[in-house]
Amino acid sequence: MRVSTEQFTELAGQGVEKARARPSLKMVPHFLYQKREAGLATLPDAAAAQACGAAIRSEALSRLPDLLEEFEKNAIANGAKVFWARTAEEASEYIVKLAKERGAKYVIKGKSMVTEEIGLNGCLSEHGIEPWEGDLGEFIIQMLRCPPFHIIAPAINIAVETIRDLFMARADMKEPTVDPVELGWAARLFLREKFHRAEFGVTGLNMAVAETGTIINLENEGNIRFAKSSPRTQVSVMTLEKVLPTMKDALHVMRLLSRNCSGQKISAYVSMDSGPKKDGEIDGPEELVIVIVDNGRSRIYQDPRAREALRCIRCAACLNICPVYRQIGGYAYGWVYSGPMGQVLMPLLLGLDKTQELYRACTLCGACKSVCPAGIDHPSLMLYYRSLDVSADIPAAHRFGGKKRPWKEALFFKAWSTAVERFWMWNSGISMVRPLMNRGSHRGVIRRMKGAFSGWFRKRDFPAMAKETFHERWEKIRNIW
Amino acid sequence: MKGRILLSARNEILERLKAAPKKEIPVRPFMPPLKEVALGRDELADRFAEMFTAETGIVYRAKNNDHALETLTGIVKREGLKSVMVSTDEVLAPLNLPAWGIKIDVKVMSPGDFKGRDDFKDAVFDGVGAGITGVDFAVAESGTLGLIHDRDQARLISLAPILHIAIVPVERIVPVYESVVASVFEKEPFPSQFVFITGPSMTGDIRGHLFKGMHGPRRVIVILVG
Amino acid sequence: MKEVSMFIPCTVDLFLPHIGEAMVSLLQRAGANPVYHRGQTCCGQPALNSGYRKEAKKAAKHFIELFGNDEAVVAPSGSCVGMVKHHYPELLGDEPDWFRRAAELAPRVYELSQYLVDVLRVSDVGAIFQGKVAYHESCHVLRGLGVSTQPKALISAVKGTKLVSMDQDDFCCGFGGEFANHHPDISEAMVQDKVRNYLDSGADLLILCEPGCLLNIGGYLSRHHPEKRVMHLASFLAQAGREER
Repeated sequence: MRVSTEQFTELAGQGVEKARARPSLKMVPHFLYQKREAGLATLPDAAAAQACGAAIRSEALSRLPDLLEEFEKNAIANGAKVFWARTAEEASEYIVKLAKERGAKYVIKGKSMVTEEIGLNGCLSEHGIEPWEGDLGEFIIQMLRCPPFHIIAPAINIAVETIRDLFMARADMKEPTVDPVELGWAARLFLREKFHRAEFGVTGLNMAVAETGTIINLENEGNIRFAKSSPRTQVSVMTLEKVLPTMKDALHVMRLLSRNCSGQKISAYVSMDSGPKKDGEIDGPEELVIVIVDNGRSRIYQDPRAREALRCIRCAACLNICPVYRQIGGYAYGWVYSGPMGQVLMPLLLGLDKTQELYRACTLCGACKSVCPAGIDHPSLMLYYRSLDVSADIPAAHRFGGKKRPWKEALFFKAWSTAVERFWMWNSGISMVRPLMNRGSHRGVIRRMKGAFSGWFRKRDFPAMAKETFHERWEKIRNIW
Repeated sequence: MKGRILLSARNEILERLKAAPKKEIPVRPFMPPLKEVALGRDELADRFAEMFTAETGIVYRAKNNDHALETLTGIVKREGLKSVMVSTDEVLAPLNLPAWGIKIDVKVMSPGDFKGRDDFKDAVFDGVGAGITGVDFAVAESGTLGLIHDRDQARLISLAPILHIAIVPVERIVPVYESVVASVFEKEPFPSQFVFITGPSMTGDIRGHLFKGMHGPRRVIVILVG
Repeated sequence: MKEVSMFIPCTVDLFLPHIGEAMVSLLQRAGANPVYHRGQTCCGQPALNSGYRKEAKKAAKHFIELFGNDEAVVAPSGSCVGMVKHHYPELLGDEPDWFRRAAELAPRVYELSQYLVDVLRVSDVGAIFQGKVAYHESCHVLRGLGVSTQPKALISAVKGTKLVSMDQDDFCCGFGGEFANHHPDISEAMVQDKVRNYLDSGADLLILCEPGCLLNIGGYLSRHHPEKRVMHLASFLAQAGREER
């Protein structure tokens, strides 16, 4: 998948335009957000449940290396194979090699974010193995070659007419229709054939349980269950932070994930695999290969602050509540993970230099933090990344590749910080700036300004600087008060 | 050579993780239990039925196995089913579905009738109008079915056909997921797969429009026995 | 009489001094004695939010030097209060002596409505305003400080005022400091939605407790809906009080 995080501002502008043209787009996250509220209300103490989710994820990260070893040991004891990949390339190449060795003509995929992160589809195609996305939304955007608009509803923004044309051309649909149910039915028939004949299935996973060596997937469509039932070979890919200590923890995270994601008490299907099929079982994989992907995470893990971003369980509650995501949609974020989740993860995965706009395009409103079932403090992380741009000399900045700020900004804050601890300088600075600032003001309002602050004035006014600041007034009339 | 490369990636990753600064493990906050934990047997069955129906499932209640078979016959006739795929699990075994099929002239198949995976897949994907299974558990908390997949419970029976009919003895209804998982993972070997099924296969991926039967069953019918 | 030290945010000092004046009169009316340290400048938020921690630290130390001995510090801004309460201890975490001073100061810093209602136990300031009022839950007031009931109690106690509900009242207005200027496409769309919700609420007036939101929403209203008003809670209460007299 192409990375376009550096075009954030431009893409965000396009996103705003699209949402303006189609107000229904903004309703998607709002609808999911409302469902989430109702879903959480079914728990006796939602706040305690969320806090417990945060504690579980925090513990899982604290014990990460031990839990991974425990998981690996138990998964192998269950009969699974475990492959460790340092990078996206290592993971993709391994899966391609395995698919070739097994003689797979195509690969059926269950919906997963990690395989997008490692660019598996591209790698498979290059080697002449067709990847077929089993999830309806992923299937649509795969054929359209566009990024996911929303992590759990990747094609929710695509017009039915576009889908109709796509299915007529590419998915053997017989009669043109724009009815979502008939379109869904056409996709069912087409993908059913792929599920039926599949010899090689690839899925991601939501949780890996250290205690039992079990992997767990949540879904509503059944594409993942098919990918884990029909083929002879099942490859399940996980990033290394997916591991949880116990089955009990996994059940709690499952409750939270379903509710925070779609407001469901539990998603339609939850499948838990402990090894490949056993003798006498007629379906299920003959071999189960679990690929544990690092792709930069062990490096992120070195930094105790940045590490907190790895708590994420990909529920998308933060997207749905984010006022910025609601305006711009998923494309602007430029890679796999959109919304606040992406704003805290992608800078670490791709480097701060390629993602500076992402973590600066945030008002720090804290809505994401307030809904996160994993206890991620997104605003603090974004402030941290911003500081790494500025203090290029600290080791973390080197690790994540901070990108220098404009010299004018740096100079401004240098001057600012000199004045901020000297009030006389601060106040004389104000007196000096006032005539400049108020040059174009009219009746106490500034309506236009060129240069560095022009962005504000496109659609907004600003009050002129007061003839007397509060400070100056206080000096004069404090005796009256 | 190959082995060494694999091992080194593993060790490299783990060593890096182990070398990182340690952080404390937080204390877990107290959580009040779900209200289902306090329910009695009858209440559990009602709660299960209520929740399962809320997930657009359909519930029939039967007093005993004979009654369950009658109900099943009714469903099969109403749906106009010619052939069904059935599991051989311990819930279904006493119902003797093959004999029942002959009596009502419906072709009853089970995985044992097939030479292997491919033949079985052909039938379960394209040759049957419904899959019939027992369940190992049913969970009142969310109206959820729990199925342990093994040689008597093939995965595709509850997944590939457009209709899934599950026979649920009331004594298999438990309050919460924890009650299920504790027994499924009580001792090794663990089942190759364990699934929770809650309602039909569905999607909202096209403009948020709910579409049931995306890949799996469009409807799930439960016959609650006992 | 309870002495309380006022922190005047730089946005208020420079552009919205009437909010500071309103705060003075409100505090006095509520039976407190507001004092003002001449040496105050800025809490340091702009620097911290742009990543300039070293520079923000200077502001923090200056603030602590100035306000460190005060029994109570009150400011008409949730974000400035949040800066002092939450970010100062974090910023100064690597300097034990300063950290201790920051941590000791933190619980004594209040947002204005919080101070009036929770500390002075005053919710009726004796004001009158005939009309419908909507309240914007500013991010740093609501989620930053958990302050929401206090301003609503103060508004509801104003004679003749009806507090009406507003859709998405807890959604960010799109200010975010430099964000508003640097990402105008997004920020404008956000403030448009906020104003749309305000207009749809049928309120005559929008009240809030954060100068940043006031500049943003007010700036947009001034350009597009000059007949509609947005006010800081302090100004509203003080002005409504004057109308009464």
